[in-house]
Amino acid sequence: MSVWSTLSDSSFLEMLDTVLSKCDASYCCCGCCAALRPRYKRLVDNIFPVNPEDGLVRSNMDKLTFYSMSSPEKLDRIGEYLAQRVSRDIYRHRNPMVIIAMEAMDQLLLACHAQSLNLFVESFLKTVQKLLETTEPALQILASQSFVKFANIEEDTPSYHRRYDFFVSKFASLCHSNHPEVDVLNSLRLAGLRGIQGVVRKTVSDDLVENIWEPVHMDKIIPSLLYNMQHASGHPEEQTDSENGARNIDPSSLAENCLRELVGRASFGNIRSVIKPVFKHLDLHELWVPNDFAIYTFRVIMYSIQVQYSYAVVENLMMHLDTSSRSRAKVRTSMANVLAKIISIAAGESVGPSVLEIVNSLLKHLKQSIMSAIPVDDAEAVADEKQFQESLISALAEFAYHLPDYQKIEIMMFIIGRTPVAGEFDPENVQAETLLQHMLLKCLLKVSYKYQSTNFSTSLPLTFLDPLLRTSLGQDAYVRVLVQEILHCLLDRHENRLKLKKPCIDICGLNLVFDKCSRADSLFYKNHGSRILVNLSESLDLTNVTRENIEAIYCTAALVCVELATDEMLVDILRWALAVQDVALTNTMLHPTNRISLHVVSLSIFNLASHTMNVATLIEYSAQVVAARTAKAPLLLRFNEGSAEEFPQDGIPPECLLDFNTIADCMKEAGKDIMGMIPLQGPFNANQRYSWADSSLHQPSSFTDLSNLNLDGSESNTSSPGVSRRYAEEEVTFEALKKVLAEPAESRREAEYEKRQVICEKFRNTPFQQLVASSAKNDVLNDTLNQILTRISIMPCGQPELTAVQPNNQSMPLYGNNFPDLFVY
Amino acid sequence: MEDYKYLFKVVLIGNAGVGKTCLVRRFTQGIFPPGQGATIGVDFMIKTVEIDGLKIKLQIWDTAGQERFRSITQSYYRSAHALILVYDVSAQPTFDCLPVWLREVEEYASPKVLRVLVGNKVDRDDREIPPAVGEAFSRMNNMYFIETSAKDCSNVDKLFQEIARELIQVEHFLLFQ
Repeated sequence: MSVWSTLSDSSFLEMLDTVLSKCDASYCCCGCCAALRPRYKRLVDNIFPVNPEDGLVRSNMDKLTFYSMSSPEKLDRIGEYLAQRVSRDIYRHRNPMVIIAMEAMDQLLLACHAQSLNLFVESFLKTVQKLLETTEPALQILASQSFVKFANIEEDTPSYHRRYDFFVSKFASLCHSNHPEVDVLNSLRLAGLRGIQGVVRKTVSDDLVENIWEPVHMDKIIPSLLYNMQHASGHPEEQTDSENGARNIDPSSLAENCLRELVGRASFGNIRSVIKPVFKHLDLHELWVPNDFAIYTFRVIMYSIQVQYSYAVVENLMMHLDTSSRSRAKVRTSMANVLAKIISIAAGESVGPSVLEIVNSLLKHLKQSIMSAIPVDDAEAVADEKQFQESLISALAEFAYHLPDYQKIEIMMFIIGRTPVAGEFDPENVQAETLLQHMLLKCLLKVSYKYQSTNFSTSLPLTFLDPLLRTSLGQDAYVRVLVQEILHCLLDRHENRLKLKKPCIDICGLNLVFDKCSRADSLFYKNHGSRILVNLSESLDLTNVTRENIEAIYCTAALVCVELATDEMLVDILRWALAVQDVALTNTMLHPTNRISLHVVSLSIFNLASHTMNVATLIEYSAQVVAARTAKAPLLLRFNEGSAEEFPQDGIPPECLLDFNTIADCMKEAGKDIMGMIPLQGPFNANQRYSWADSSLHQPSSFTDLSNLNLDGSESNTSSPGVSRRYAEEEVTFEALKKVLAEPAESRREAEYEKRQVICEKFRNTPFQQLVASSAKNDVLNDTLNQILTRISIMPCGQPELTAVQPNNQSMPLYGNNFPDLFVY
Repeated sequence: MEDYKYLFKVVLIGNAGVGKTCLVRRFTQGIFPPGQGATIGVDFMIKTVEIDGLKIKLQIWDTAGQERFRSITQSYYRSAHALILVYDVSAQPTFDCLPVWLREVEEYASPKVLRVLVGNKVDRDDREIPPAVGEAFSRMNNMYFIETSAKDCSNVDKLFQEIARELIQVEHFLLFQ
């Protein structure tokens, strides 16, 4: 049996239908039976023309509108009756009548007051649904237009029971229309998109109605929008430029607007349900590689989302990257690229822990990628993975670039904390750890590139400087170059680093820019400056120094010279220059070319310092040496140009070298404080202040009178119970120190390490009482300590004294172990 | 005013090219469209059937079989009263994919959903899956089973009639509880 025949309605409706159809057929008949019908039905009937082509009967429509406004209680019945007529006309395929009825409903909807609309809306929506259920494009488009009109009116009473399931489902389905005719297809898709826009507008503003953000809706809405966006016909810019762009809007641009509107309304809790379908869609449609569409989509999202939530998108993308760890490297690279493209947009709003969270998870991915065992023979996979790592780093750099400077420092400290330190590598995975170290230092370098240093105490806090300097003494020459470059970025405040890249005697030609050294700067120098210099000379003394190392170290020293131009710096830098010269003279293990380079470095830095501090006597002396070198050893003026063969075998004439005594005289003549230079009466040693050597040198501190107290390193050393004063008892002669310089750093460090071990063991295993007893032997020290303590407590401004003590403490390679007395008492 | 007693949502799923759209077209419009293109996203049809004098409106959502549309199609599973899982009796691979489809159903559809296994294209001579195999699979997975042909219209109406009947019973059962 045909189903359609069973469809015709109950007897009542059937009868009604026949009567009404007769009414339509003949106007006079309608007139006579109209008297039997309620007024609202008559009014409704009258709006329909005899001839469907004539369209809505305007005058009668006005009457109906007036009637429904004056007696709003009738409105729901009018709606019901209209809906009934529409469903009958749909069934009979009398589309013109359907269109007229819808027009009437639209007009009533817009004309009537909100409070009377509630029940009318039910009939209205039922009719819209009816139209959508048909297979005719024209009616579906009509339905979506009416729905949009409905969506734009504001109801004052929310209807909790109203469901939009069907509309969302149907509109989403329309968005995927596959109609054979392109024009119809476009209009159907536009109808679907407008409908979705309408549903969203209708529901987002009110929390009490259906929650459009439920995944069940979003999973339909988002893919529909994206599907239309990805099928953009041509470039959207061109279309909007054309004159009739507004009328001939294409589905892709409407979909984009829709997405913008939707995302713009999303609150924090809803972001996940919006973003998740995006990932799913991009995954399934394989839109990551190439990632133009993915970038476009995420740009749209990032620019339309409420700014304070933008980092949540980044977090979600990161999470998706987590779950995609098994995808192809190309896909992951694309994701990381998208991340790099959008992360800057979020950076401005990221605050507090979310910043470090993002950095942390980027680093995690980087580590994961490096540690993942990729068969080396698969060159393509290795290259892809490498590219992935690069894009992660650039994402991180991009992120950091857009953060405020104080957060850049935080990030840098965070990264250095994550960097594996050479010597602590997992022995099974040295290669990967080395790679990771390189990568992280590269990250650090990228971040520091973008950092604009202003105040050194904030850009180089001890917690950051410390690990950085430690890394700068690693075995890996490349790592050392990286660290120096990071230091360049952080130290350089006046864009001088490119000018100072290579040692150069002619200072004036460089056009250096520098300010007067501020109080904060000189304080920073007091605390850390000489430490940096000592570190520099130590790393010059390593066995595998390359040309790049020397250049980089020179650049750092030169930047210190320019940026921290204080008297103290001058003294230290002069000592440093002499120390470098000494290394060049004595370290026979160095390649002759490098030794020549060191001579050039030494003179260049001496010259630079004399100029930046503007000490006439020193400038004069430096000119003398330059002149001497030009005459007798021109090789020593040209960095990296001399070859090993040209190295003067018979030694360098003394007037071509920097001489300590002359320098000291120059300083005196210039009226500079040369207290700091006193230790230089002995052999030159760069390690003076911060290595074990100074413990026996009775170094007088120019800024404190503590030296009068007979407190020096040697006493400190003996205070460690049971440990012999090994270093202190060593003879301090030229030979001894020379030996130390020539000695490879390894053995020295080993000896230190051994000593530390012994002390540690001692303090871990010996009972407390015994420790007290053993340390109590050093009465002299105790007295001294007491003396200091009383002095400090008497002094009103104790603070500077304490800070003055600090460098001495730090100078001990044994660190805390040297001071058991302080803990015991 | 309402011209139906019950409204049920039916969703068709299965590999691309097994004949989901043809089944729906045959049932709702009585036609067998030759050269039917691949469905994009989700298609929608409506049809009212009468069971024991009750008018039942069936909302039929015909989903795209292609994997790239999974994101949108899966979102339609949840609200479905009945899921029709279609395979092509003349194509073994479409049958082999059934467990994957069932897993998706488990994940996205309501646990109470009525599940029907349909072997389509029985009119073809090159059958690869015997009826017994399909039936065994359906019994193992607690599904209804029917073999149809959209081309020669065999069992198409029966399929939907049976689904409607079954859903009414479920509805009544729930009502009495």
